[in-house]
Amino acid sequence: MSKKKVNLYFPPEKVNEPITYHLVKDYGLLFNILRAVVEEKGGRLLIEVEGRPAQISEGLAYIRSRGVEVKELNEYVDKDLSRCTNCGMCVSICPADAIEMDRETWEVIFHQSKCIACGLCVSSCPPQAMKLKI
Amino acid sequence: MKRTYEEINAKIQRGDAVVMTAEEAIQLAESKGIEKAAREVDVVTTGTFGAMCSSGAFINFGHAEPPIRMSRVWLNNVPAYAGVAAVDAYIGATEACEVDGKTYGGAHVIEDLVRGEAVHLRATAPGTDCYPRKDIDTYISLKTVNQAYLYNPRNAYQNYGVATNSSEKALFTYMGKLLPHYGNITYSSAGQLSPLLKDPHLRTIGIGTRIFLGGGIGYVAWEGTQYKTTPAERNGVPVGSARSLAVIGDLRGMSPEFLQALSFTGYGISLGVGIGVPIPILDEDLMRTAVIRDDQIYAPVLDYAIQSRTRKPIAEVSYAQLKSGTIELFGKRVKTSSLSSYYKARIIAQRLKDMIMENEFTLTQPVQPLPAERTVKPLDVCSKEDVL
Repeated sequence: MSKKKVNLYFPPEKVNEPITYHLVKDYGLLFNILRAVVEEKGGRLLIEVEGRPAQISEGLAYIRSRGVEVKELNEYVDKDLSRCTNCGMCVSICPADAIEMDRETWEVIFHQSKCIACGLCVSSCPPQAMKLKI
Repeated sequence: MKRTYEEINAKIQRGDAVVMTAEEAIQLAESKGIEKAAREVDVVTTGTFGAMCSSGAFINFGHAEPPIRMSRVWLNNVPAYAGVAAVDAYIGATEACEVDGKTYGGAHVIEDLVRGEAVHLRATAPGTDCYPRKDIDTYISLKTVNQAYLYNPRNAYQNYGVATNSSEKALFTYMGKLLPHYGNITYSSAGQLSPLLKDPHLRTIGIGTRIFLGGGIGYVAWEGTQYKTTPAERNGVPVGSARSLAVIGDLRGMSPEFLQALSFTGYGISLGVGIGVPIPILDEDLMRTAVIRDDQIYAPVLDYAIQSRTRKPIAEVSYAQLKSGTIELFGKRVKTSSLSSYYKARIIAQRLKDMIMENEFTLTQPVQPLPAERTVKPLDVCSKEDVL
């Protein structure tokens, strides 16, 4: 089993169609919705899918065939080491426990793999060290 | 055991002074006892790096041709106070940029100057017989100006309240983002490394004390604003904000590593200032206070949902608890965040230790002690007669 975070971009005309449920029904994938937004330019769904690698790529290929843009999300936030003071403000803000304080070195450790791309650390960083990549 | 400033400085100059950071001194005192540690160690160094809003810099730009008596001044579009002499101005850390005030302000101007960058200067004036010029638009840098020195009216607070939020919505404060329903707790002190907690009655810290300031050398200029000696003590240190320092130091020689602009979403701009103070171990009592630990230093937890100066603490917690990462509040584990960088505090204490050991920094006896007793007064709306 492997896990992958993907952003699905729905054009406005696709927003009313049930599409993602096929990932569960036809491809046996588990997914967790991390973020869902609907705007003038369409909808965006950030999901974490879990399944066998082959199932994941087949499922995502199907979604693409339905006219939904699929973009894999590897790194969402960039930490500018020259600005980070290692204060730790972001540690209690992160809802995904992706940011932790190393209590030996007192450095802030950012676990990219746990990041759910909520962006809360970006707006709460006093030295503006956390920046959005997309 | 007694030691004098002169004896310590003589040892520093000979290169055989024993200097330890407060963390190292704590370990020594734990293994050998206070008495032995006091005999062995001459100086204990401290450090803190945190948001210190009450900061700013005086700058003298030099005279233009023809001369101008500047009445309004902007540095990178951030207004500076020019109600002093012709080409003197004070740039306050929290002043917002008139173009992009959310992410740029006086603190950024100060950081840019220290970084060695060019800063845009614009000034206007009414024009007088002795200062005929009415405006100027130019660039300055630390190379071109006559003086540029920090003068921070309130820095290095001795302890500080811990913040949380009982309300239903997130609060954006100078203590960072406070999540609803006691969703997190933020604090802002280096605890066992923090300068004024290591000599809590300021026996050795007073006017004229030489300090590490923003990466360079600075001095204690005065008591900090809102200096107070009244908070209750626990283990000999005040619980909550008490004493503070007004500090001064040349921007030339400082570094952006220890003088860094900060911005708090929904609150505004602040300046991250690094300060380190050496504590001379003149006797055993000074060693006793210099080795006070995080588990002995307490701070009050304040609910920032109560928008009043009289909010009462909802709990008292130690820095050991705060630094553990979570605190139990009303039966719930709440995550903590620090606004003060313990990582940088450590670097500062170590840097100051190195400077002393290399004879780049000697100790100074205060010219004048700071007040032994001081209360803090509120501001009330009252009549002319009431205030007399």
